[in-house]
Amino acid sequence: MKFWRSVLAIAYKDLLSEMRTRETISSVVVFALLVIVIFNFAFGGNTEQMRLVAPGILWVTFAFAGVLSLTRAFIPEKEEGCLDGLMVAPIGRDAIYVGKMLSSLVFMLVVEAIALPVFTLLFNLDVFSPELVVVTLLATVGFVAVGTLFSALAVNTRAREMVLPILFLPVVVPVMIAAVSAFELALAGESWGAMSSWLQIIGAFDVVFLVVSYLVFGYVIEQ
Amino acid sequence: MDRRLVLRLGLVGLDLGLLIGGLYMVLVYVPTAKDMGVVQRIFYLHVPLAWVGFLAFFVVFVGSIMYLWRRGRHWDIIAHSSSEIGMVFITLMLVSGSIWAKAAWGAWWIWEPRLTSSLVLWLIYIAYILVRSLTPEVERGARFAAVVGVVGFVDVPIVVLAVTLWRTHHSSLIIFEGGVAPAMMATLMVCLVAFTILYALLLMQMAAIRRDEEELARLRVILR
Amino acid sequence: MENSSYLLAAFAVVWAGVFGLVFSLVVRQRRLRREIDALRQEVEKQSR
Repeated sequence: MKFWRSVLAIAYKDLLSEMRTRETISSVVVFALLVIVIFNFAFGGNTEQMRLVAPGILWVTFAFAGVLSLTRAFIPEKEEGCLDGLMVAPIGRDAIYVGKMLSSLVFMLVVEAIALPVFTLLFNLDVFSPELVVVTLLATVGFVAVGTLFSALAVNTRAREMVLPILFLPVVVPVMIAAVSAFELALAGESWGAMSSWLQIIGAFDVVFLVVSYLVFGYVIEQ
Repeated sequence: MDRRLVLRLGLVGLDLGLLIGGLYMVLVYVPTAKDMGVVQRIFYLHVPLAWVGFLAFFVVFVGSIMYLWRRGRHWDIIAHSSSEIGMVFITLMLVSGSIWAKAAWGAWWIWEPRLTSSLVLWLIYIAYILVRSLTPEVERGARFAAVVGVVGFVDVPIVVLAVTLWRTHHSSLIIFEGGVAPAMMATLMVCLVAFTILYALLLMQMAAIRRDEEELARLRVILR
Repeated sequence: MENSSYLLAAFAVVWAGVFGLVFSLVVRQRRLRREIDALRQEVEKQSR
């Protein structure tokens, strides 16, 4: 019980401080929209081509927006000395991980909730199905599970904004492949059965990395 | 000390023998593959290189877990050394794979499952090595690298799964077709064993170098 | 490029890589040993 209270306290603190300033969420949302628009120009506006590459564009956008928002997850903790405060408090390391992860998850889901409708609008895709939502949710959990761990690590290195993508993007390749493929299937009108193997991959990734990151997080923030 | 030296020299001799023997088998003994011609022989280098690349990362994984658990310097030394050797082998695997792809399919790169998975492993190796060098404190760098080693290795099977599913979905480029003749199997086995022993020797050498470097640092501190 | 020259290229690259690695390790080892012996002698001298 104490664990969950600490978790919610940490997540609430993050979300509250974000709601007050709204600086990061607005910049990440703007970034995501800009990326989508630029990709549109890059592909020359040929609608047939667009339909083919749309899932890829969307997930690249989400991956970069994710890196951007995860980078900021631990920087204030480090700079304001908040992390030391958290560690001294009677809160387990694991609660810090789960709390941070949950706040990052909510954050990313908000960004995606804004970007996804805009995306379907700009690309003239008339499909907005539950399959897309579920895939997005599962994939984001995977991003955040690994990203929170690596963000805490990156913040203690010399080139922290560069280190996070170098760590994060290769590890997250399976999620990217699966999410894009599932989106391709969903946009082609297929239903759950066709994309079941992709969902299994994302699901397995989520479970494995939630557990592994949870176990290993303590080693990253100690001392 | 003498016994270990004898063992070492024995292994080196054995390995040289296997490498030369393997070379002979690859270039002379093995029959030429039907469709691809002579180029197919790259296979006998390419596969052992991949095998060692992945084996080395497994050693990195074990070393990393043990280092996080027990904190002995020797575990970190093993993991670090294995990462550098593995990195070289994976790079050679990618280069040889690229040359083979150009010869067989006319393109310097193909998104074939094995090559793609190895490319991702290569990127994870880079992440492992970079994290260590980009962390200002040495002990922390070792700890962070160990974390990357653990997470990275756990990721590898999932990457292979996803990439394989992805590529069979889109195209079916098989890297070798047809049955495997016994002569081919034998040649492959010899090369695999030769390269594995080579890896073990290089690992021991590299670990000794690391230990010497730490000894050197210790001596310098004493003399200050 | 002819088929067999690709084969040659691949073999050349791989063996160059492997021998390069072996060579660099041997050189590093030797240099370290020399430095360590020199420093050890220094320590001996100082402790007298």
